[in-house]
Amino acid sequence: MDEILLKIDGLKKNFGSLQVLNGISTDIRRGEVVVMIGPSGSGKSTFLRCMNLLETPDSGSIWFDGVEIVKADEKTKNRVRSEMGMVFQHFNLFPHLSILDNITLAPKLVRGMDKATAEAKAMELLGRVGLADKARSYPQQLSGGQKQRVAIVRSLAMEPKVMLFDEPTSALDPEMVGEVLDVMKELAANKMTMVVVTHEMRFARDVASRVLFLEGGRIAEEGTSEQVFGAPKSERLKLFLGKL
Amino acid sequence: MQSFIDDFNLCFVKNGRWEYLLNGLGVTLEVALAAIVLGLAIGFLVAVIRSTHDKFGRFPVLDLIAKAYLAVIRGTPMVVQLLITYYIILRSVDSKILIAILAFGINSGAYQAEIIRAGIVSIDPGQMEAARALGLSYWRSMLRIILPQAVRNVLPALGNEFIVLMKDTSIVGYIALIDLAKGGDIIRSQTYSVYLPYLTVAGIYLVLVLTFTALLGRLERHLRSTGADPVHNNS
Ligand SMILES: Nc1ncnc2c1ncn2[C@@H]1O[C@H](COP(=O)(O)OP(=O)(O)OP(=O)(O)O)[C@@H](O)[C@H]1O
Ligand SMILES: [Mg+2]
Repeated sequence: MDEILLKIDGLKKNFGSLQVLNGISTDIRRGEVVVMIGPSGSGKSTFLRCMNLLETPDSGSIWFDGVEIVKADEKTKNRVRSEMGMVFQHFNLFPHLSILDNITLAPKLVRGMDKATAEAKAMELLGRVGLADKARSYPQQLSGGQKQRVAIVRSLAMEPKVMLFDEPTSALDPEMVGEVLDVMKELAANKMTMVVVTHEMRFARDVASRVLFLEGGRIAEEGTSEQVFGAPKSERLKLFLGKL
Repeated sequence: MQSFIDDFNLCFVKNGRWEYLLNGLGVTLEVALAAIVLGLAIGFLVAVIRSTHDKFGRFPVLDLIAKAYLAVIRGTPMVVQLLITYYIILRSVDSKILIAILAFGINSGAYQAEIIRAGIVSIDPGQMEAARALGLSYWRSMLRIILPQAVRNVLPALGNEFIVLMKDTSIVGYIALIDLAKGGDIIRSQTYSVYLPYLTVAGIYLVLVLTFTALLGRLERHLRSTGADPVHNNS
C-alpha cells in the first residue's frame, strides 16, 4: 500500500477574477495529521473543499489512493466523497432526521448497508463519543458540542480513509471546544489521516504531524508544529502568529 | 318556520334533489384532490429543474420550457385555461372530469412549483454540501435531504394553494361538469329558490376548507414538534 493517501499537485481555483488557490502542491501520508492555518480569505476552506471535490479545481491534479480524481466521472467522484469524511464549522446535521438517521443515512443509501447493521454501528460510534442516549433525539435538541460530535460520528460511520475538518470548533461556545477536540485527538491517536483547519494552537501543537501556513492561495510555509510555531521563518507567519 | 321546511323539502328532498349536492361534492373532491396530486408532481419537477438550473446552469432547455409554462399559466385566467383545454387541446377526450383534473392540475402545478422552489432556495447550502460530502449523488441529496425540509418550510403556502385550488374548481360548470357549485345552481334553476341552495353550497365549501385547514395545522404542529421527516417518516 502506497504511503501517500492524497497527492495534490499544482492546484488552482478561481472564483470569477479572484484567484483563491494559486498552485498548491503537497502530499498527505496515511496516518498524518495536517493542520492548516492562515489568515481569513487565504483559501483554507477552498483547499479543503477541493480535496473532496465539493469545489472543482480549475487546474491541477489530486490523486486519492492512487487514482486521479479531478477529472474523474461523477460516479467516481461520489465514491471518493463517500471515502472522505468532512466536518463543517456549522455541523450541517440534517434537522429533519433523528441523530440515528443522520448517521445511518449514508451507510444505508451509499453503501447499501442493511438497517440493523448500520444502526448497530452508529450506536457503537455514538457510545464512543458519549452520546448513545441521544440516538432518538433530533439535532435541534442538542448543544453545539454534541452536534459536532454527532457530525464527526456521521462521517466516521462511512469508515473514511481521511477526515477533513473545517474549523470544527469555531462556532462553539468556549466550554464545548474541549469535548470536540478530545474526540479529534482520539481519532489522531488511532492513526486516522486528518486535515484540519483550525485556530486551536494547543491542538495543533499536540497532534499535528505537519502544519501548513496558507497565505494568498499558496503554502507560504510548512513544517512540524515546533518549526512553525517555535521558529517561524517568514515575516508573514510571525505576524499571523502574533495576532492569535 | 313552516315556509323554511317547505323550502327545504322543495330544494333538497323532492325528486331526490339532494343528490345534486352529494354527487356534486363527489366531483368537486375528485377534481380537487387529483389536481392537487398532479400539481404536486408537476410542481416538484419544475421546482427542481429551475433551482438546479439557477445553481449550476444545467438543463437550459428544460428551464426555458419551465419558464414559458409558468408565464403562460400564471398570465392567463383559470376559466380561459379550462375552456381552451376542453374545446381545443383535449377536444377528443370524452371524460369531463379528466379534462378538469388535467386543467386544474397543470394550473396548480405552476403555483406549487414556485412555492416549492422558494422552499428549496431557503435551505442552507450546507445541507446539500453535507449530503454530497457523505457520497450521496445530487439527486439523492435533493430527494432525501433538501426536498423534505423544503416542503416542511412551505407547508402553509402549499396548504393555501390547495385551498385556492379547491374553491377554484367551482368554475367547472363552464364545461358543463356538475360539481358542488353547479349542483346548487341546478337546484336553484329547478326550484326558483335562491337562498337555500346557494347558502348550503357555500356552507359545504366552508366546512371543507375549515376541515382541511385544521388537518394541515395538525400536520404542521406534528412536524414542528418532532422535527420528523414528512416524506420519509420511517427512513
Ligand atoms: N463560492 C464562492 N464564490 C465566490 N468567492 C468565494 C467562494 N468561496 C470562497 N470565496 C472567496 O475565496 C476566498 C478564499 O475563501 P476561503 O473560504 O477558502 O478562505 P478561508 O481561508 O477559509 O477563510 P476563513 O478563515 O475566513 O474561513 C475568499 O476571498 C472568499 O470570499
Ligand atoms: Mg474557511
